[in-house]
Amino acid sequence: MADRRGVLALVVGVILVLGACGRVVGGAAGRFRPSTPGVLKVATAEVPLAGFWEGSMPDPDGGFEQGLAAALAERFDLSRIEVLTVPFGDLIAGRLGGADIAVSQLTPTSERGKVLDFSIPYLASTPAVLTSQGNTVNDLASAREQRFSVQRRSTLAYFLDTVVVPGEPVRLVDDLHESVEALGQGTVDAVLVDLPVASAIASRSNGRLVVTGQFDSDDSLAVAMPQDSPNREAVDSALRAFTDDGIIRDLARRWLAVSLTGVQAERVPLIPAKL
Amino acid sequence: MDLLDLKAPEGDAWMFLVLFGVVVAGPLIVEKVKIPGIIGLFLGGLLVGPHGLDLIGAGNTTVFALGELGLLYLMFVAGLELDLRLVRVHRRSVAIFSILSFSVPLLAGTAAGLLLGFEVASAILLGALLASHTLIVYPTIRRFKLGSGRAVATGVGATVVTDTLALIVLAIVIGSSSPGEKGGKVSLPELVSQVALGLLIVSVFAFLVLPRAAKAFLATFGSSRTSRYVFALVALLSAATVAQVLGIEEIIGAFFAGLALNRLVPNQGDLMDRIDFFGRAVFVPVFVVSVGLVINPEVLSDPETLRMVGIFTLACLGGKALAVTIARPLLGFSWPQAGVLFSLTAAQAAATLAVADAGRSHGLFGDAVYNAVLGLILISLVAASVVATLFGRRVPMPAPSAAADHGRLVLLMIANDSQIRPRVAELAVRLASTDGGVVRPVVVLPEGGDAPDVEGLEALERRLAVMGIDLPVTLRVDHSLNAALGHELTSTGATAVVVDDGEGQWRRELESEASSSPVPVLLISAVGSGERRVVSFGGNPSGAGLVDDIANRLAPPRTKVVLGDGTSGGTEEGATDLVVTTSQADVGPAGDRALTLVTLI
Repeated sequence: MADRRGVLALVVGVILVLGACGRVVGGAAGRFRPSTPGVLKVATAEVPLAGFWEGSMPDPDGGFEQGLAAALAERFDLSRIEVLTVPFGDLIAGRLGGADIAVSQLTPTSERGKVLDFSIPYLASTPAVLTSQGNTVNDLASAREQRFSVQRRSTLAYFLDTVVVPGEPVRLVDDLHESVEALGQGTVDAVLVDLPVASAIASRSNGRLVVTGQFDSDDSLAVAMPQDSPNREAVDSALRAFTDDGIIRDLARRWLAVSLTGVQAERVPLIPAKL
Repeated sequence: MDLLDLKAPEGDAWMFLVLFGVVVAGPLIVEKVKIPGIIGLFLGGLLVGPHGLDLIGAGNTTVFALGELGLLYLMFVAGLELDLRLVRVHRRSVAIFSILSFSVPLLAGTAAGLLLGFEVASAILLGALLASHTLIVYPTIRRFKLGSGRAVATGVGATVVTDTLALIVLAIVIGSSSPGEKGGKVSLPELVSQVALGLLIVSVFAFLVLPRAAKAFLATFGSSRTSRYVFALVALLSAATVAQVLGIEEIIGAFFAGLALNRLVPNQGDLMDRIDFFGRAVFVPVFVVSVGLVINPEVLSDPETLRMVGIFTLACLGGKALAVTIARPLLGFSWPQAGVLFSLTAAQAAATLAVADAGRSHGLFGDAVYNAVLGLILISLVAASVVATLFGRRVPMPAPSAAADHGRLVLLMIANDSQIRPRVAELAVRLASTDGGVVRPVVVLPEGGDAPDVEGLEALERRLAVMGIDLPVTLRVDHSLNAALGHELTSTGATAVVVDDGEGQWRRELESEASSSPVPVLLISAVGSGERRVVSFGGNPSGAGLVDDIANRLAPPRTKVVLGDGTSGGTEEGATDLVVTTSQADVGPAGDRALTLVTLI
């Protein structure tokens, strides 16, 4: 009996002592610490953006990333979301405009990782070619013949430059609306954009625009946070829970017209070329 | 001019090269310094992963998918390898110790989690995680010849219970944290009934459907070793899928599938050998490496994470130690036996990883907790190994039992390449299965005779495989049946012999040559079509116990075994279908009734 009591007392005692030392560790899945109590501040580059941020500022009311932000706020028990539009260039430079997180179709890269913290991926984002109906781009040769537009300083611009290497000069833009407008006007033939974004735009174009092909890539979208943010663990846990519960899948089905079976949407042909 | 256009290594071939390079080199390197090989796999994964050399990046889905398969395989093999016979024999000890070994660490772990500020669900999950254990040190204990001892049997048996309970707690906690159909939380009664019903359906599938499907498949298509192995994979994955569809963790389905097929896959058999081989070579190491990819040294070395490692280790090892300390006087174990029991139940690996993985995937555990659990695993493996070695040598070896393991290795002797009656093979398999043993078919050819008919032997192997005997046929060329028997017994250490003696050839020769055998030799002459009753005639008083034991082993489930009064010379009237007696009760063939002579000569 003395043995049991002794072991029990020792175990309980040490646990209590260790537990009391230092600051209390956050919840098991990490604790989110917002910059403003009760408010989740989210930075994004473009509102509206078809499929991702629907509605208008200051209160976008739909879209995949809007839904994701709402799910995060609910999980972290935050009663309000405040959306901030911050230029894409500022976001990837680490300037989030005071936001807790940035949800803006951002792809983690080692360069960006020097100024930002990234969460685990929440959506695969292979580079896809958006063109006008009737224009087919399903191999590298035909891709090289296109007049492309792409967002400046994006990973897609790098991909276009190093893998596709179009014969015609590339039109660099600051936001996606410019590219889509140029495509509509015929001043460019194709836009290189993330597959989920391309799918969302095409599905809302009444058949005028199509996603004609995608390139093989490991790229994905992730939530960005200020460097050394204390919130990374909590955001990662949340994204894992959302993936497991089907929240991500349901948001993608509803807003992006994509089926998240595996890495790539199965209906879009793969253009054989790789970084 | 560049003669070579070199590119940086990339692509799938490179990824697999890195992965399997770690699988090969990791254990080899750490075992040189007496560290368990599994830690080499963890560290290798860390080295090549996104927090190390980034040779396998965080976005890689292939390795993690393979890792998931490896985890299912690990749980399947854990269920398959458990010696359920030991659990049955020592069920009282197993029952008492299982309750203690699960509940004490569960409470300690839950308390630790709450103290650390975890949510209730996460704290309970942590408790369940700490309450499970893996028999990593079992091979070490077996080296001390303690495998059949009561302390070891208790530890092994407790594994079934604690791991199953841990997985059930996991199912409930995950279920409670996931949204219901309409998006809201599920009420507790609804949750409990969903989980209970889900587990029931998984259990029915695993324990009723799978064994029947396995027997039917093996009987029809089981002649090919490849198809038998692939069927085992299908069984594992189907059970996991059924579990997933019902909202139960897939690892539970995999574990139940292993338990369900335990009796059909003897540990020493060919199929188990294959399952074990692919598990050790590919699936399980890949899983462990995939876990290593997640280890984040920055997080692990964080003071808060290290504090969690300390608390988890105390709750786990302290809880297990307390459970053993309480159980020791209740079950009458000595301190060295208690030490062995602790070492068996302290090691955290498969089930712990499975629960931690599930907790992380469901967003209940963050990276800090996950890395702290990995730290706990490393510490527990080392501690368990040390304690096992320290106490294992102090426990006296258990006394061998006279009736312990007749079925461990059963020789099935076949004269020439003659037809083997399925009923005889069935009896041999039944004799072996009671001890989880195997049947080794031996074809005896006369010296100076014709060369063996290779095609005939292959056909024989296929027929035997369908009958459930999957070891390859051994050829024994000898000058007599008696000599062949003696040489096989000497070279194999068999525990029993079964002979298809339809024509009486074996009996005549063995009796005429006054042969001797240290193990029972069953000469089976006529065989009946069914078994409604088994009658045992212990004609030889000194062999009565053995005859009764054989009769019990040969009797199918729920068949009455009637113990005779020692008289010989005839068989019972009425519906007797199988008779077991000694050679001194020279019963002879009896028409459509089966006679089995247990010859002690």
